[in-house]
Amino acid sequence: MSVIAPNFKLSEFIKSILDVGFWGLLIFVLIGFPAAFIVLFYIEMPVINGELLTPFLALTWLADPSRTLPIIKAFMTTDLFRIAAFPGFGFAALIAAGTIFVERKMLAKLQLRVGPFYCGKIEGILQLMGDGLKLISKEIIIPAKADKPIFWAAPVLFVATAAAFVSLIPVTPGWVVADVDVGLLAVFAVIGFFPIITILSAWAANSKFPFIGGIRALFQMVSFEIPLILSFLGVVIVTGTLNLSEIAASQSSFPWIIFFPIGAIVFFITMLAELERIPFDLPEAESEIVAGWLTELSGMMYGLVQLGTYLKLYAFAGLFVVVFLGGWNGPMIWPPFPEEIITKGIELGPVTAQIPGLPVFSQEMLNGAVWFVLKTVGVIFFILLPRGVFPRIRIDLLLDLGWKKLIGLAFVNIFIALGLLYAGILGPGGIF
Amino acid sequence: MSTPTLPPGLAIQKADERIMTLNVGPQHPGSGHMRIVVQIDGDYIVACDPDPGYVHRGEEKMAEYRNYVLNIPHLERPVIHDSCNILYPYVLGVEELLGLEITERAKYVRVIAAELNRCVYTMYWLAIYGIFLGHSTMFMWPAGDRELLIDLLEKMTGARVTHSYFIPGGIRNDLPANFEDVCLRQVNYFEKRIKEYADVFYDNPILISRTEKTGVLSREDAIRLGTTGSVLRASGVDYDVRKKEPYDVYDELDFQTNVMKSGDSYARSRIPWLDMMESCRIIRDALQKMPKSGSVRVKLKPNPKGGIDSVYKRIESGRGALGCYIVSDKKPEPYRVKLSVPSFRNLIALPHLLIGEKLGNMPSIYWSLNYWPVEADR
Amino acid sequence: MSSEKETVEKKTEDSKPSSAQAPEKPIPTKKPTPTKTSPKEEVELPAFEKGIADKIIENFGEKTTLTFVKPDRVGIKVTREAIHEVAEFARDVLNYDHVDSVAGVDYPADKEIEVVYHLSSYTDPTLDRQILELATRAQREDDPIPGNDATKLPSLRDIFYSVEFHEREVFEMLGVYFEGHPDNRRLLLPEDWADLPPLRKDFRNKGR
Repeated sequence: MSVIAPNFKLSEFIKSILDVGFWGLLIFVLIGFPAAFIVLFYIEMPVINGELLTPFLALTWLADPSRTLPIIKAFMTTDLFRIAAFPGFGFAALIAAGTIFVERKMLAKLQLRVGPFYCGKIEGILQLMGDGLKLISKEIIIPAKADKPIFWAAPVLFVATAAAFVSLIPVTPGWVVADVDVGLLAVFAVIGFFPIITILSAWAANSKFPFIGGIRALFQMVSFEIPLILSFLGVVIVTGTLNLSEIAASQSSFPWIIFFPIGAIVFFITMLAELERIPFDLPEAESEIVAGWLTELSGMMYGLVQLGTYLKLYAFAGLFVVVFLGGWNGPMIWPPFPEEIITKGIELGPVTAQIPGLPVFSQEMLNGAVWFVLKTVGVIFFILLPRGVFPRIRIDLLLDLGWKKLIGLAFVNIFIALGLLYAGILGPGGIF
Repeated sequence: MSTPTLPPGLAIQKADERIMTLNVGPQHPGSGHMRIVVQIDGDYIVACDPDPGYVHRGEEKMAEYRNYVLNIPHLERPVIHDSCNILYPYVLGVEELLGLEITERAKYVRVIAAELNRCVYTMYWLAIYGIFLGHSTMFMWPAGDRELLIDLLEKMTGARVTHSYFIPGGIRNDLPANFEDVCLRQVNYFEKRIKEYADVFYDNPILISRTEKTGVLSREDAIRLGTTGSVLRASGVDYDVRKKEPYDVYDELDFQTNVMKSGDSYARSRIPWLDMMESCRIIRDALQKMPKSGSVRVKLKPNPKGGIDSVYKRIESGRGALGCYIVSDKKPEPYRVKLSVPSFRNLIALPHLLIGEKLGNMPSIYWSLNYWPVEADR
Repeated sequence: MSSEKETVEKKTEDSKPSSAQAPEKPIPTKKPTPTKTSPKEEVELPAFEKGIADKIIENFGEKTTLTFVKPDRVGIKVTREAIHEVAEFARDVLNYDHVDSVAGVDYPADKEIEVVYHLSSYTDPTLDRQILELATRAQREDDPIPGNDATKLPSLRDIFYSVEFHEREVFEMLGVYFEGHPDNRRLLLPEDWADLPPLRKDFRNKGR
């Protein structure tokens, strides 16, 4: 008799396994199969190599790697893949996780300590997972007099808005979740949601410190949105488009930061403020107002807000890259795909498998993705760096900076753009 | 029906819709073990009521039950980071009561320990000042660099923070062998390190724009409020007990006091940092002038008794003048021990400075007063 | 009760010998420092302190008693009624500008509570080393109701602003109510403290 489970009986255990198996099979047959067929009835299956893809066909292809590839390719053209995996949420979350790790280690090195060290054996690489597990397993405490629906909804809305922002960023040519013609305007529209969510969450918490933090966040974001919008106008004027993919494509020979350094600086500073990064982290200033508008959030609600914050950080860095640093443009560094694999197939010892349809991604796409990621990581590094160097700024100095200096500089940037346009250097009919 | 008579300390306040009352502390990342009741109108502080006492332990009452020597380990508890300095006036006072004359070497060792301890305390204070302003590097650097001096003090006293090193009649034990060389090396490195703080912290434009011209304490107010230490010297009053009323061997050592005129948070935060450099000078000078051998303590009778007398001694601690008033009545236990602590004396400036300031300035002004909540509570 | 008064009187008698001893006392401490001004100080310093004490005694006569004159320390005992004007005199004439510490001492045998003010000066360089100790005594109640009994003293807050928190502390720790103090509230003790003021001698620590 076991000490851990004193009431253990082998017969009961076998019976329970058989029960589970029986009920599982029954439910799968009675509900799973009909549901699958109903779904198949409505969904238009892709036609691959002249054959309509049926579940039977798909299952047979699973056994044959050469026939699996078309399925993957077909899947990659769907919106689901784009939203969930590559240019969308999964990719952004991966970069966000990397950002958090790099931030912790870099800040630790800057401050003469080691940072995360034990979790995950190698330099604490799994610390983030540990933190995530901790946040998930923590109890969520809602203040007694909070406005509960709004308070619950705010973190979810925050992540959703950040993900919407991510969806607008083109990573490589053709790889963007939402390729809209009003891309930049859509970006501003999405950014405009953040202060609303912040103030809703702060108000719904019915607590003093979140309230002050929410008001501060509102002030900060509203006052910095205007220079943010204005700092882009130079690029929009000379390119004549709001579509982010076209803006990125227009920088094939040189990035716009060469002509608009002032705009880039203004955008970078406003970006720090919108992200509530350290010189501008007033809404979360812990020595004054505990944790600002995050004070009453606990457990995974806080975790969601953090996730949203880092998604937002990635999206802003990506936006900076797309608008000022040339997006995916860069010299070809990805090695060309070996011809032998396409013509002769892959040789693994005695076995030779010829797989049609390779490569999955084109060389240009991979090269663009590499350049985009490299530039984005560089920008993120510069976003992280002030945290080790600067103290927190005060609210009046911040508003002064936003309303007076940055707006003025943004206008200077616009005049530079107009000057370049009318001098015939840039823009339609220009030299470049 | 008459209104209920409230015990002192309680008051019913009228609610004002415009004014928001914030309870900053005692469990708040920006207050330490202390509550500051702040009333704000928008972003401006209109009323401030500091409420210390969260960690009041009745050290003065406890001191009436223990004899002069047993009081040493617990009287240093209010500021464990500055534990040599908070014992210093008590020990000096007891020596005067008992008529003890300590040896020259003990005096020098005491000065070295006190100055090391001042640096240790100031580093801790600076670390918290850094994090109050949101500068996390300035939290980590001093917290790491003070380990250098803590190691030294551990070599001297055997304990990392609660040293119990000074006793009536000298010091508890002599320096370990080869201490002078180690001390000189570490202090020189320490001085080199703290000079780097200017680059990352004190000359930082954001820090200057945030703390300059905020919380200005004029010279007259500094004197009238009876502030002390770095707060006083930041307001342009050149008063340092080490210079003005030298105890032990401070009159033989070569150092100067740092005075700034502006009296704002920036000056108040910079003075302790400058003082640390002077401490390094004092330590080097003392190591040079110290007698290389000799006894470090005089024999103390068991259960020593003082006459019917009282004594008031003061020294300069990391925060300012620290006084100790001892009344004895021919018993082994002191009749009354009163610690006049600098934190408590500087606290009076807090409501004076905060009213009319912005809420964002509260942490910088509060911590620039060189205030240690546990010490004020005793 | 009487023994305490005797000791005080004895101290006042001792004051002359102590002032005579005073020049001897600094000698051992000054020995290792052969500074040029030290012999001059040895002669002048006790005289200086004696001068401060004499000024106060001359002006207030009966109301004040000299407790001691030691190097750098002058102790004066003042009656309850005169403490305000003596403090004013110390500020305006003697240039003491702030209070270092306010200590309350309970003397149950005398049925009195002593409050000791340690005055010091930042502005007058001649007073750099000096501490003036003004002691005054309030009536002690066996069954105190802090704030509502006879244990009262005039507040010095209008003269020395720096006593504000110190007097609040003395009030809660010993139950001495300071008349004229604008903010006589608890400071360190919790709001719901309902026991005796803890620094009185009849408040015993648990287990002691």
